[in-house]
Formats: sequence, structure tokens, C-alpha cells
Amino acid sequence: MSAAGQVRLVARREITTRVRDKGFIISSLVIVLLVVGVMIFQLVAGGRTSTTTIGVVGGNPSVETALQQAGEASGTAVTVTELPDEAAARQAVSDGDVDGAVLDPVGDSPQLLVESSGSVDDIVRSAVGALSVGAQLAAQGVDLQPAPNVSVTELDPSDEDDGPAVVVALVGVVVLYGLLILFGQFVAQGVVEEKSSRVVELLLSTMKPWQLLAGKILGLGVLGLAQMVLIAVVGVTGALALGVVSVPGQLIGTVLVVIGWFLVGYAFYASVFAAAASLVSRQEDLGSVLTPTTLLLVVGFFISIQAGQDPGSGLATVTSFVPGLTPLVMPVRMAAGDVPLWQVLLAVAIMAVAIALVVRVGGRVYAGALLRTGGKTKLREALTAERA
Amino acid sequence: MLEFDGLVKTYGDNRVLQGVGFTVAPGQMFGFCGSNGAGKTTTMRIAMGLARADAGEVRWRGTALDDASRQRIGYMPEERGLYPKMKVADQLTYFARLHGAGSADADRAVQEWTERLGLADKRGERVEKLSLGNQQRVQLAAALVSGPEVLILDEPFSGLDPVGVDSLADALLERCRAGVPVVFSSHQLDLVERLCDAVGILARGRIVASGTVPELRRREGGRQLRVVVPDAGPGWADGVPGVRVVSEQRGDTVLELDPATDDQAVLAAALRTGRVTHFARREPSLVELFREAVAA
Ligand SMILES: Nc1ncnc2c1ncn2[C@@H]1O[C@H](COP(=O)(O)OP(=O)(O)OP(=O)(O)O)[C@@H](O)[C@H]1O
Ligand SMILES: [Mg+2]
Repeated sequence: MSAAGQVRLVARREITTRVRDKGFIISSLVIVLLVVGVMIFQLVAGGRTSTTTIGVVGGNPSVETALQQAGEASGTAVTVTELPDEAAARQAVSDGDVDGAVLDPVGDSPQLLVESSGSVDDIVRSAVGALSVGAQLAAQGVDLQPAPNVSVTELDPSDEDDGPAVVVALVGVVVLYGLLILFGQFVAQGVVEEKSSRVVELLLSTMKPWQLLAGKILGLGVLGLAQMVLIAVVGVTGALALGVVSVPGQLIGTVLVVIGWFLVGYAFYASVFAAAASLVSRQEDLGSVLTPTTLLLVVGFFISIQAGQDPGSGLATVTSFVPGLTPLVMPVRMAAGDVPLWQVLLAVAIMAVAIALVVRVGGRVYAGALLRTGGKTKLREALTAERA
Repeated sequence: MLEFDGLVKTYGDNRVLQGVGFTVAPGQMFGFCGSNGAGKTTTMRIAMGLARADAGEVRWRGTALDDASRQRIGYMPEERGLYPKMKVADQLTYFARLHGAGSADADRAVQEWTERLGLADKRGERVEKLSLGNQQRVQLAAALVSGPEVLILDEPFSGLDPVGVDSLADALLERCRAGVPVVFSSHQLDLVERLCDAVGILARGRIVASGTVPELRRREGGRQLRVVVPDAGPGWADGVPGVRVVSEQRGDTVLELDPATDDQAVLAAALRTGRVTHFARREPSLVELFREAVAA
């Protein structure tokens, strides 16, 4: 059996073992459901127009128009309900039938009843103001002409709104982060399982440590990629079907970028996790050796969330070149659309060097520590230990 | 030929192996004996590429073992190890495949060996659910399923019940007859004596005795006699020339004779004390040979 053939066998075992594992299947389903849930949430909460019902006591028909125009200005569809008197208004507000009720909107002292202050205040205020100005101008005999229409000229029509792309990238980074942690853990647990059960001695009598490591990382990587793609397909289909995102090209582009960065991130983190895990012999000790790397992931995650708000910030720009942080921050910056190509290439190059380094050093640690069962191996011991 | 040649291995100040060499012919069963910590496991791990010798090498058919040729060796490590959550048959198939067996061959071999080692009804069980002895059998099956050209087994019999010992012994003898050289280490010397064509005793970093059990006996030099003389007083044999008393208990005496000594002279001396109820050459057991070799 060739070296590559053995790597394939190892990879296949990783995949078949995981695919038959109930925990894995459940966690996969949960992630897919989560993505669907996020989209539905986006649809419900993130809709551009909200609706408000305002009750009116007294006034004239122009009040309704004024309220609706004021609402439109702030992106709210206003429904107006006529109410007979103040008592009915108070009742309607406290029952939640209306979001607010205006008393005497065109009189000298208009009054607004609300449960608590909110967006309704502004709508009513600007409507009352507009009515009052209109009335005063009319009293002065000014003949009001409708305001001229503003014509819009797009200077760069292809420059789409980046808002939705950033949202997609952020959702993508959440998934990417989750899968990196999940599959990093799988790699680490697998390494420790082989050590603690001592099956590693039998394995290493037929192959080199690098083959075992490569097979494990490749197998779980294929599985991780499959899961990422599954989530992407569900996500993109769902987003288009539910109308969360309107520009398919941009959406798919962003998703592909996230998948690409997932692969880069996985190569990096899986190697680090495997090397770290090889230092311990019991699952209980895993936490202590994985924490530093996990922290790096968490930091990258929070920076990328921050970058979602302000993609041009210095922090986002700098960290998008830091190995380990790149895969989380760069997709968000790229979705925001202001990253020159050379920066993307530089970030990829830096990650490639980092991965090469991690694979080399991590592979040595792994090979040195793998046969030292019992207790914890120090990093230096692993690097100087005789390798099988 | 499987040749262990001049193996040297030092751990820190501990000179574990100082030139260990022995040869196992195809179809030969070699029992590898030595006290705890003598270096048996170290020797086998070097052969399997799990430890690196400071000097010396292990050859199979004239060429030093490498990754490719090690795939044709069935190995049972001293530290047993299997995937606890994997099913017996899946696990064995995996190891057979890692050793280079094709998918169909692997399946067939797994069927056969689980049958032969009494694991037929355990094929679908996770290894962690099996008793220790049955896990041990799976471990053996893992060494055997790939149809290896060579078997290197580190204490394969420890932990087996007598039926398990028999089925393993049968399996090993059968492989041996098929021309496979088998090396196994064991502290059960009676078993080694019963099964092995050749024995090597490792002590102080070297093979201090090796050969067939009869050869070892001959090489022990002095012939031994057991003489039972119920009426004799203590020290009856002290005056006989060329004779050393090994043990004496109420007339039941073990004597060691110099090569030149005539055993008939000893018989005559015995008869002079009265009745002689037993007079025979005594074959030292492997245990005694072992003690002798290790103590020297
Ligand atoms: N990895 C290691 N590091 C340091 N010393 C070691 C290592 N492996 C073995 N030794 C030492 O080498 C010596 C030989 O050990 P080995 O396990 O080969 O003995 P053994 O003959 O198999 O003993 P046993 O019958 O108890 O299994 C022992 O003194 C042991 O402490
Ligand atoms: Mg041993």
C-alpha cells in the first residue's frame, strides 16, 4: 500500500466514523436549522419598513395624510384609526390596539398618548409641525405648490449597496467560526483518542506520523467542507426564496469567499489543534492545551463582528493580515468591498506561509509526542524526542 | 531469514541493548525471554520502527526493514491498543487494509480470523464492550488478518484463558508451518518450551543464551542426575569425585556431574548407602536454564 493510499484509508475512516456518529448528525442539523432561523429572523425583524398604528381624536382628514407622510420619511407605514374621545384613546393605547394616540392634532395644544416614548413621538411631532406650518402659510395666503421631484442620477450603477453583502459575510463568519471550532475539536479529540487508547502504536507500525496526521486532517476537512457547502446551499436558497437578499450574484460571491477562507482557516487551525492535542494523553487535559488557540479564534470572531460595523477601521485592516485572524476578518472586509486585490493576495500569502510553518513544526511536535503516552509532554520535549 | 543484528539502544544512561542479535528462520517459532526491563519490548519496537536503534538493524530477506516491508509484518504491541468505539469487524478490516490487503481479501480474512479466534459472535460489537480477554483476541486478530509474512508479538499470551492460549498457539503453529517466522516474547516459559523451536534469553543487554531447548541444555554443560536413596544419610554424595550436589532433601538428591565423571561410579556410590529407588538423568526445565543464564 502506497503512502498516499494509507492517507486515503485514514481519511476514509475519519469520515465514515463521523458520519455514523449521532452527535455529529445532530450538531450538523442544528447548525443548518440555526442558519434558517437567522434568515427568518432577518426577514421578520430586519424588514426595511415597520408598521405603526396611531389613533387620532379630533382634527381633520389632512391629519391622516400628514402622519403617513411623516411615517414614510422614517421608513414606517402608518395606519390611522379614528377614536371618539380621550378615554377611548387611553384605553386603546393601554390595550395595545394603537402604538400611540394624538389628541387635538391641529389645535393649539396637541397631546400624544403613548405607553412609553418611541418612534411614534417623532412621527407625530413632524406631522403636527407640517400641519401647523401648512396652516400658518395658508392663513398668510400663500399658495402652496407641490415640492419638485428629485431626480436621481447613479454615477456608478454597478456599485451595489454593500450592506446585505456584509450581513451575508457576517453570517458566513459565524458559521465559519463555529465549524472551525467544531472540526478543530474533532481533530484534537481524534488525536487524543488514538493516544489514550494506545492504538497509535499499532497505526505507526504501518505508517509515518505525517500520514496519520494528513489523513485525519484531510478526512475531517472534507467533512467540514461538505457541511459548509450544505449550509451555504441551504442559506443561499433560503435567502433567495425568502427574499432576504435581492442580488444573487453578490450573495453567491460572498459565500464562495467565505468558503475559501474556511479552507484556509481550517488548514491552519486543524494543524495547530492536532499538534497541541498530541501533547496530552487524556481527553480531560485537552482543554488546557487548546485554550490559547481557541482564544485566538474567539478574538478573530469578535474583531470580525466589529469589522461588520466598521469595515474600514484600522483594527480590521491590520488584523486581516494576522495569521489565524485573517480567515475571520478578511471575508467581512471583502464583502464591504473596499479591499484592493493586492491586500487579499498578501493576506493569502501570509496565511500560506503560516500554514506551511504550522504544518512543519506541528508535524514535528505531533511525531515526537505521539508515542509518549501517559501524562503531558512538554513542547520542547516533543520537539527533541526521537521520532518514529 | 529475519535477522536482528547488533542492536544497540541507550536511553539516557540506561544502556538497554548492547548488541542484540539473533536470527529467526522462516517457519521457526522463536521464544524471546528475559527479565522485566531486559529490553524485549525495546527490541521489538525497533524492528517495527517505533524506536530508533543507535546502531544495528533488523533485516528481512536480506534487506533492512522499512515502511513498505513493515506493512507485511503482523505486530502485537505490549501496550494493547484498539479504537474503543469501533466495531470489531470494521476495526479488523481497517487494519488489514492499512497492511495493504484489498477490500475483498480483508473482508474474507476478517471472517476467517474472527471465526478461528472465537470472536464470530462479537463482530458487530464495539471493542470497549468486550471483556479484556476478548479485546486481547481482537488484538491478535489485528496482527493476523493481513496475512503477514512475519509475526512479531509482544507477550501475546498474557491475559488469555487456557482455551484462548490453545487457540492462539494453534494459530501460531499453523502460520509457522506455512513458513512464517514468528517471534514472541513471554514470561510463561513452560509455554515457550512447549511451542518454540528456538529460544533466546536476553540479559544485560545481550542475548546470553539462544538455540533450541535441547541445545541450551547441552550447552549448560554438566549433566544432571536425580538419585533417590531413602536410607542414605545427609551428605552421602559429598565424597564422590567429579560430582557437585545441587540439592538434597531426605535422600532425594540432584547431582551435577563433571563431563569426565562416569555416572556408573555415582550409581555404585549410591548403592553403597542402601536402596536406590530412582536413578535417572535429569533435564533442567527452561525455567532453570533461564535462572542460570540470567544469574551468570
Ligand atoms: N521510551 C523510553 N524512555 C526511557 N527508557 C525506556 C523507554 N523505553 C524503555 N525504556 C527502558 O528500557 C529498558 C527495557 O525496557 P523494555 O520495555 O524493553 O523491557 P522488557 O524486556 O520488555 O520488560 P518487560 O518484561 O517488563 O516487558 C527498561 O529499563 C526501560 O525503563
Ligand atoms: Mg516488555
